[in-house]
Amino acid sequence: MSVEDWRRKIDEIDKRLVELLNERSRCVVEIGRIKQVSGDALYQPDREKQVLDGVVKANPGPLPDAAIRRLFERILDEARSVERIVMHGGDGKKEN
Amino acid sequence: MVVVMQEGAKEEQIQHVIDRLVSMGFDIHRSTGASQTVLGAVGVPADFDPRDVEVLDGVREVVRITQPYKLASRAFRPQGTVVQLPRGVQIGGKEVAIAAGPCSVETPEQINLIADRVAGAGAKILRGGAFKPRSSPYSFQGHGEKGLVMMREAAEKSGLLVCSEVMDASQIQMMLPYVDIFQVGARNMQNYFLLRSLGTLSKPVLLKRGLSATIEELLLSAEYIMAGGNHNVILCERGIRTFETATRNTFDISAIPVIQKLSHLPIVADPSHGIGIRDKVAPMARAAVAAGADGLLLEVHNDPDHAYSDGAQSLYFEQFDKLMGELRIIAPAVGRTIS
Repeated sequence: MSVEDWRRKIDEIDKRLVELLNERSRCVVEIGRIKQVSGDALYQPDREKQVLDGVVKANPGPLPDAAIRRLFERILDEARSVERIVMHGGDGKKEN
Repeated sequence: MVVVMQEGAKEEQIQHVIDRLVSMGFDIHRSTGASQTVLGAVGVPADFDPRDVEVLDGVREVVRITQPYKLASRAFRPQGTVVQLPRGVQIGGKEVAIAAGPCSVETPEQINLIADRVAGAGAKILRGGAFKPRSSPYSFQGHGEKGLVMMREAAEKSGLLVCSEVMDASQIQMMLPYVDIFQVGARNMQNYFLLRSLGTLSKPVLLKRGLSATIEELLLSAEYIMAGGNHNVILCERGIRTFETATRNTFDISAIPVIQKLSHLPIVADPSHGIGIRDKVAPMARAAVAAGADGLLLEVHNDPDHAYSDGAQSLYFEQFDKLMGELRIIAPAVGRTIS
């Protein structure tokens, strides 16, 4: 395959990633709504650790475990941000 | 804001810091390194004190990226502020505005004579004190309202504006008809009640830097005035206290370009107080204009040897004339003018 072919493949994967990230985010929004009522804390370190350990365990490579951990730290950062907006009565969408 | 955790900080410590930051309202971007974790914290709350995070276990350093002042920051008005005064005088425009006059208003004859002379030499503003905050309670304390009446009359005759110091919020209403610019002295720079009171006016305020104040503290004081709605603030560098004893204060010329970068407010310089000794006032005045000052405050007296206060730092008329001539050569070199 040429570079162009590989790039097309990457573009398709990225689209799927965006869909998956949004699907994940919709779950986060639902949790935010539940927490809004229950009053549970936004930041749940034990749960975040569980998520990070889980994705590292599921990592077949070639990405190193540390890279997976860093990538998912960013996903968790954004999830917290979405959840905070929902917990304050928003729909989870940020302006920026 | 960036929170740098200590090397080898425990996971529980990191979690505790994140927990605190999240509850303060920050969004966190965590970066876990091989031995050190860095937390990016976005969305600084208005009343945030970085020390609240610095004291947490496992924190090595907290680096604040945003400024604690908002209205006074350059980002608020990137094009800069030009304070508009009566008679078409501007501070912060192309022309360097010169305010000159005695330390204290002494007699009608004295202030008339000085106003006439400095106006003739190109000054636009008559400066002078009616209330004198002196180091000793036994020194001359100023003529009060009578002094302001004398100043206003002299200024009207000579076509000048009036800049005089307000010492206390209770004087503001009385002073309003007499002054065009309220000056806040170095000793009052952190008199927040006075600053708040001046914030409710629309009349310009010239805010002098305190003797031991950092530039950030000066800008925070400006923020107090601006937070009340008065955005006509002129900052003034007047020398700071250092270990040097050869001069009264150390005139911090570097404050001029530093403030111009940090803030949109005009910055003027007061080399008379900055240096405190007559023969060194002119070189510092020249340096201030060369450094980009938007104006100068100069003490000029008809008879400095017999001045009621600050005679040693007051210029003779001839010295003022000569200085104005020199400034007219320097100003164009830095893209400015002096009338």
